[in-house]
Amino acid sequence: MNDMQWTPQGPSEPVPPPLPPLPPTRVDFTGDRTGFRKMVTKGAMLELATFGFYRFWLVTDIRRHLWSNTSIDGDAAEYTGRAKELLIGFLVALAILVPIYVAYFLVGIEFERWKGFASTPLFIAFYAFGQFAIFRARRYRLTRTVWRGVRFWMDGSGWLYSLRAMLWGALVFLTFGLALPWREAALERYKMRHTHFGDLRGDFEGNGWEFFKRGWWLWLLSPIAIVIFPLAPFFYAEFKAREWRWWLNGLRIGGVRLSSELPHDAFYGLYWKMIGWWVLLSTLFGFYVTGATLLLAKLTGVPAEQAFGPGHAAKSIPMLVAMVIGYLALVLAMNIIMRVYLQRDLWARVLETVKVHDIGAAADVRASGELASALGEGFADGLDVAGF
Amino acid sequence: MSDVTAGPDAETKPGHQAIFFDGLSSRRRQVMLTLADALEIAELGEVEAPSTVTRWTYDEIRRADSPAGILRLTSTSAPPLARLEIRDSALAADIAARCPRLDEHQTTGRGVAKIVGWSVAAAVSIVCVVLFGVPLAADRLAPLVPKPIERRIGDASEVQMRTLFGGESCSEPAGQAAFSKLVNRLRDAAGLDDDSMTAGVLPSSVPNAFALPGGKVFMLNALLEKAESPDEVAGILAHELGHLKHHDNMRGLIYNGGTSFLIGLLFGDVTGSSAVIFASRSLVEASYSREAETDADTFAIEIMHKLGRSPKPAAELMFRITGKEGGSGLTILASHPLTEDRLERMTKEDRPASGPPLLTDKEWQALKGICGSGKI
Repeated sequence: MNDMQWTPQGPSEPVPPPLPPLPPTRVDFTGDRTGFRKMVTKGAMLELATFGFYRFWLVTDIRRHLWSNTSIDGDAAEYTGRAKELLIGFLVALAILVPIYVAYFLVGIEFERWKGFASTPLFIAFYAFGQFAIFRARRYRLTRTVWRGVRFWMDGSGWLYSLRAMLWGALVFLTFGLALPWREAALERYKMRHTHFGDLRGDFEGNGWEFFKRGWWLWLLSPIAIVIFPLAPFFYAEFKAREWRWWLNGLRIGGVRLSSELPHDAFYGLYWKMIGWWVLLSTLFGFYVTGATLLLAKLTGVPAEQAFGPGHAAKSIPMLVAMVIGYLALVLAMNIIMRVYLQRDLWARVLETVKVHDIGAAADVRASGELASALGEGFADGLDVAGF
Repeated sequence: MSDVTAGPDAETKPGHQAIFFDGLSSRRRQVMLTLADALEIAELGEVEAPSTVTRWTYDEIRRADSPAGILRLTSTSAPPLARLEIRDSALAADIAARCPRLDEHQTTGRGVAKIVGWSVAAAVSIVCVVLFGVPLAADRLAPLVPKPIERRIGDASEVQMRTLFGGESCSEPAGQAAFSKLVNRLRDAAGLDDDSMTAGVLPSSVPNAFALPGGKVFMLNALLEKAESPDEVAGILAHELGHLKHHDNMRGLIYNGGTSFLIGLLFGDVTGSSAVIFASRSLVEASYSREAETDADTFAIEIMHKLGRSPKPAAELMFRITGKEGGSGLTILASHPLTEDRLERMTKEDRPASGPPLLTDKEWQALKGICGSGKI
């Protein structure tokens, strides 16, 4: 209490002396790769055994793994979403989507009566729905994201977001993609300004021009990638790395700021590993099909080219079964590889470049915000849209 | 300060430190744990002695997700996001051993088995509905679809067909008259009560004929050109009328919509599922449409017999167009019965003509020229 003696007499003196800026904190990812691989392998098998219904549990397990192994300033995050919520969200979304599909069909008939194929633009309505789903799915995920006992949450309107996304989408379409950076900046700004961590409010400071400067030449060169297609993975990897870095550098929560030095070639390895696996697995699949055909031809005594012909329908069934099994094995393996490389490894690769500045601003945040339902995730699932 | 209600047997070693988040703010608190009757959590003050923040009874404590090496706990009586983090493995093991219901909320092996079981049950039920329920619903519902709705759908598909197969119907007057005569005779024999039936010939180089909902039958000119007698054309038309009589369009619509939806629901978004969805849809829909085609053939045979003509020429016409079909592609994926099988069937039903010719030679020539000579 001796300090009080030195309290200045006049009110003119600045009260808090400016603190020296603390060094930025790192984000650590400590997830065990082998454990993750085993988890997604088991998950893929179960997905097959359950005709895909296990996806809700697998997705939840993946998120729990990624979240809980990510620590910021020494404290690990936590994902509190549960698979049952996703399942219920999916069922509710179906209940809403089915009448919409029926209405779409009936409206489509009226349009077609007027002019052939006039109903094609109706798919735009589904695009709008998809954007709504993206917003609401993000809200679900954020409200299940907990750090230091406080959750993230979101307000804002999914439909207003969808309207923005549609208008910006039209502009991107009209400018042959040149307006894409501004679209991403505007949409992210909307999402981040409605994002909160406890009583801290988020913001997004990235702007379209900055992103444009980083990637315009990719836009110019993209026609080359269509001609010389082995270049396409490089281009895509470049684009994604630049996009990630720009996005991370723009994120703000209260006074907390992120920065990332993600190198432009960060994803080359990941994408080429994926392609390598794909080539390897397709070759194996090719050998398997050839082998199975020859083996069956030998066993049944029917030459391979006749096995599919008339009168051999019964004999072509084992062949079909063999093909289906091979195909499913291929899909399963690709699923595992995609999840390991494009989810886990990408996550780790990005996080190791992230620095958090002024984390002190989040040291004593009051918890607030309500949990959002998983309906958005259900829509995203039912409409097959992805996005964050 | 004796806020700490440490019993005589309670251990208060200095190792019992942990980090606590109360779930109401993000403040990181250094706390001291006491393993008494319940887990007592006391905050370490700067100067003064620890003051108890809260106490969690052991059977309320649950495990929360955490990185390896950290035991993260929560309690059912605390705010839902309150977390206690223990980094000392010996202490973690000690506490874990005291909490009987630590992992009660996690998905266990039995839980997974339950998910698999219910999924299989759902899949079996969906497959049964696809195989039995939807066809039954389609058969029962199709005749009940109100005529105006059917006609609207028909109008819509007519616009589409005209876009695909070249605009206006052929309208050479004499040919048109012959075509109407043929269609009317067949319609009367078929007992179709649809008085607003539309029939026409479209100028197209694709040899085909089709029926649309709302009593529409279209024949494409190329088929007419390949035909050598009125009976050939009549048999084909009778087949299409069979589709109308059986409401095959509406049945197909209901059936395809239903199965697509259910199969899509079943496979959801498993990566690569679109191929599975496509394949299984093709299989079930092909078998359904093969059945409808066979029924339409049966109907055509009946009509032709009623008119005293043979159904065989129509099959011969089809055979001339498609050739022998077997040997190419998977037969179980074909949406029509094989032409050679149809020819064989119609040949069995071949009977000498007992009725008058359906068209005179002059009318037949007029019909052949309905689209004008050489104009396609």
